[in-house]
Amino acid sequence: MSLEIKKAAVLGAGVMGATIAAHLTNAGIECYLLDIIPFELTDDDKKKGLTEKSPAWRNRFAANGLAGVTKSKPASFFTKKNASMIKIGNFEDNLKWLADVDWVCEVVVENLKIKQELFAKVEKVIKPTCIVSTNTSGIPIKDISAKFSADLKKRFLGTHFFNPPRYMKLMEIIPGVETDKAIVDYMCKFSEQTLGKGVVVCKDTPNFIGNRIGAFDLSNAQRIMYERKYKIDETDAIVGKALGRPGTALFGTIDLVGLDIGAHVNKNLYDAVPNDEMRDMFLSLPFGDKMLANKWLGNKTKQGFYKKTKDAKGKSVKLMLDIDTMEYVPAGKPKFDSISAAKKKATVAESMKTVFYAEDRAGEFVREYLCKNFIYSANRMGEICDDIMSIDNAMKWGYNHKLGPFESWDAVGVKESLEVMKKLKLKVPKKVEEMLKKGCDSFYTVKDDGKYYYDFEKKAYAKIDENPRIIILPDLKSRNKIVKENASASLIDIGDGVVCLEFHTKMNAIDELFTAMQSEALDIVEKDFVGMVVANHDERAFSAGANVFQVLTAAQMGQWDLIEKGVEALQGANMRMKYLSKPVVTAPAGLALGGGCEIAMHGARCLPNGETYMGLVEVGVGVIPAGGGCKELLVRLTEGIPDGCIEAGFNLQYHMGKAFENIAMAKVSTSAAEAMELGYVRKSERINMSRDQQIYEAKQLVLSLVATGYKPPRPALIPVMGENFRGMVNAIIQNMLYGKFVSEYDVHVSKKVAYVLSGGDCAEGTYVSEQEILDLEKEAFVSLCGEKKTQERIMYMLSNGKPLRN
Amino acid sequence: MSDAVIVESVRSPGARRRGGLANTRADEFGIQVLKGLLARVPQVKPEEIDDLIVGCSFPECETGMNLGRILAMGAGLPISVAGMTVNRFCASGLQAIADATAKIRAGWSEIIIAGGCETMTHIPMGGSAMRPHPDWKFDGSMPDVYINMGNTAENVAANYNISREDMDKMGVESNRRAFEAIKAGKFKEEIIPIQAAKYVKKNGKRIREYFTFDTDDGVRWPATVENMAKLKSPFKAGGNVTAANSSQMTDGAAFSLLMTPEKAKALGLKPIAKLTHHAVIGVKSEEMGVGPAYAIPKVLKMAGLTAKDIDVFEINEAFASQAIYSCRVVGIEDRYWAGDINPNGGAIAIGHPLGCTGAKLTAQLLHELKRRGAKRGIVSMCVGGGMGAAAIFEMV
Repeated sequence: MSLEIKKAAVLGAGVMGATIAAHLTNAGIECYLLDIIPFELTDDDKKKGLTEKSPAWRNRFAANGLAGVTKSKPASFFTKKNASMIKIGNFEDNLKWLADVDWVCEVVVENLKIKQELFAKVEKVIKPTCIVSTNTSGIPIKDISAKFSADLKKRFLGTHFFNPPRYMKLMEIIPGVETDKAIVDYMCKFSEQTLGKGVVVCKDTPNFIGNRIGAFDLSNAQRIMYERKYKIDETDAIVGKALGRPGTALFGTIDLVGLDIGAHVNKNLYDAVPNDEMRDMFLSLPFGDKMLANKWLGNKTKQGFYKKTKDAKGKSVKLMLDIDTMEYVPAGKPKFDSISAAKKKATVAESMKTVFYAEDRAGEFVREYLCKNFIYSANRMGEICDDIMSIDNAMKWGYNHKLGPFESWDAVGVKESLEVMKKLKLKVPKKVEEMLKKGCDSFYTVKDDGKYYYDFEKKAYAKIDENPRIIILPDLKSRNKIVKENASASLIDIGDGVVCLEFHTKMNAIDELFTAMQSEALDIVEKDFVGMVVANHDERAFSAGANVFQVLTAAQMGQWDLIEKGVEALQGANMRMKYLSKPVVTAPAGLALGGGCEIAMHGARCLPNGETYMGLVEVGVGVIPAGGGCKELLVRLTEGIPDGCIEAGFNLQYHMGKAFENIAMAKVSTSAAEAMELGYVRKSERINMSRDQQIYEAKQLVLSLVATGYKPPRPALIPVMGENFRGMVNAIIQNMLYGKFVSEYDVHVSKKVAYVLSGGDCAEGTYVSEQEILDLEKEAFVSLCGEKKTQERIMYMLSNGKPLRN
Repeated sequence: MSDAVIVESVRSPGARRRGGLANTRADEFGIQVLKGLLARVPQVKPEEIDDLIVGCSFPECETGMNLGRILAMGAGLPISVAGMTVNRFCASGLQAIADATAKIRAGWSEIIIAGGCETMTHIPMGGSAMRPHPDWKFDGSMPDVYINMGNTAENVAANYNISREDMDKMGVESNRRAFEAIKAGKFKEEIIPIQAAKYVKKNGKRIREYFTFDTDDGVRWPATVENMAKLKSPFKAGGNVTAANSSQMTDGAAFSLLMTPEKAKALGLKPIAKLTHHAVIGVKSEEMGVGPAYAIPKVLKMAGLTAKDIDVFEINEAFASQAIYSCRVVGIEDRYWAGDINPNGGAIAIGHPLGCTGAKLTAQLLHELKRRGAKRGIVSMCVGGGMGAAAIFEMV
């Protein structure tokens, strides 16, 4: 049976259902979003003339779900246009639509009977190849599928997304006992490659992996706080970045998710795990009960563990709950010596270790907290999963922990930690003592042929399966695959004749060394390789732009020649990359701003990750894109105009207006799809969904270009509007200045942008060469660098990290 | 020298931008208004009509290629009937009627149809290919002829202390008056209903269908000053000119039939009124809205009259700021609240279809003067680029 999901249906249009549907459209999958019919017509409905037959009333829940997800923040859709790929309906009238879908994903209320009844209806209409899944977070898969036909059981499984589905990497896949292996394998592959998720296969046990370990983790910390009398802000200072936890720390996260959700999960879990040795951990605490009774549920009720208010002067004040008095008091920024020391460490592992062995109150907290987490996780092995990576990955991908429990355990030292556990009178799991006795001192280890993990079942290290689709540059570097490197960039052999140019400066800012390596890389590729990928693993930035500090220094010293040479080097490297005889595929992910955006635009092809935030933002520091950004944007925006149209008098004003708006307003895309809408990436490109597999996919793209006889593109001729464009822009920005929406200097910089985009002093409809635009870019850039206000903008950006409007 | 009288004056309903006439071409609804006008005067033999003068502010795209001639032919007039398009921006429709009057008075024509036609849904402000001069100076050494209209309104408000509250009050009042007028059926006589197009999908095929569009669709009622106060200015940071105290961008057409009194008599037609005087004047581009403040006194002086001699005014509410300012300068602000100025609501409520506006206001004024049994009225407006225009109409 060949499986392919082209069309899906999401049943249940609550926040989770609607956001899952939105993410499916991000992956290019059309879907139906259905929900129940409202219970009754309200007086308001009647006033509006609605009847029980009106689709507006019958589809209300699904419509509300779609409307909500369209407005959600952070955005659920890559682009709002995706909303048109979702068709809304209801369970009564539209269940027949399910006949043509390849996947039905159920996300209705967590009620076994309701789910069973819905699936009974679904089973009657779906096609025999349709995959059916539930997004339940707590109800056993075997219970939901108890009454299914044998045939449906083969195609049924749990697909548990984490909220918000676009951004949270974890996807738990829970096969039923009778689920076809081919279906499970396909859904794992589909979740990774198409949806961009990180898959953890779980056993069908209560709350699966993420929410089992996660619920324990949260309860554990709260209980220590309660029993050992820590304050909310103290707890968050401890269980925060020093332990590799998200910035929202513990209570910020609970407030975000909602106290009621947490309480519900804990209650279900308590009932469902009668044999869990630490089951009592899931019982509620007195302050939690009171908060629930008061409906202090977190952000959604505007107060939870924290509450934001304003003081007499209108300044925002953060209050926290005093769990003894149940009153809100000002939250502080508690300091602990160990936490301050930890923050100076280079890695999370070192930071965690620093706090773990510290003598202060933070250390005391962390020892008890982490040890209990470690023990609980070890005790779950075999019960909820068979390998330690599943638990580690679930906590990293579903809870944004930088290190999972076993990785954390390795970080503090397994052997040493057992002493700590004994001191705390905690029961050390026998299997861990056994591991140490076997001479295995850590859960993970690296050998010459790869990474290993400790397998509790086999009582020995086992090799971690390497996914050939995941290329990890640091691994290749440690295997001597570096072709060339300097302090700013490396050229790494990623196999099959392809190299990867990796930046590794702070935020991957472009500096002289980087540009030098880019040029050298092109020489090397031309000579010894078949093609190149430009990519890196940085979580935040492909490249945040040029290193403006160097530009400022040169400008302040009046070294115009140096600035000019720098621009020429950047332009030269980008142009050479574009016209290299071997194909270069750029693979941006995260921020690709300014010079980073320009590099990404100068490949033969571009393979952006879905989460790519791209823009030519130079005006923020008072300059214009001069590494070929203006030029390449013009090329992209005008290349689709059919031949002859310009000569026939085609009105270019909207194309040029778009280029001007992008640059003058420093527009940054919120996704790769939006980068296409803005024109930074060609619409004919494909979007990579799995960041893990992006370099691999980019490499395959290089190889496919080679295999089909790659030839560099024909030099572009760009149609411009000449002086008429400047007239147009002058009038528009003059009006904006009039309305005080822009400053005099904004107008000055904008006019430079307009001059470059106009193609210089020429007539409307003139074709100019790429070099002509590059020369205009250079001229404008250098002249702006000499302006005091541009230098002020650069200085302000360097010291404040945000643009100055002067 | 002969005289010129108006024997009929009609208009289409004002359709807010992307509203009732969104899918109807301007030439199409223009033709329908012309046909509706001719149907009311069956005594006129089409071949006796000498010319068609059409005001249009952006005579391009579907209103290009000399709209005057196209509408004449489209309405089925014989090929002997000539046609022309005139452009004085927002005063174009009034200019068309004034030009027709002048030609008839000069004895060069006997019967002329004059008015205006504009679609702001299809052709944006500035036209579809605006090309300001690249060397135009915006440093104050040259007038800012390319200035956004909203900015000029902000300038008038700021330079002459027109308060936000006063502007919003006019915004509410304009809508209230229009709402009442429509409810009372006052516009029925002057409106030619349009068979408006809409596109629908039937059985998987996209087809064009028609519906009757017969009522101004821009009125926002109920409205309150409190609600209007919440809106922000799109033109100026912290400004006071908002969507609620500005005119709406509108689609519409309006025409009047003019002839010598002798011809009217011979055809057995009863003249309604005549345009006695018409004046235009230039003002600063940056505060173009003050136009009526200069054009009204100019035309009154020309006629040897004072504002007291005028029974009803239609002063285009391009923006409340300029309408209020103009009334103040002319000394007639109290008469706005007394109901003698824009008695049935103005452009804030029922729209400002640029080149059609003068002809539309003429139709509104003449029918109101008739209802009141009054004698004299003025149509006036400000004009983009910095001008004012005004005309005095006298009932006969």
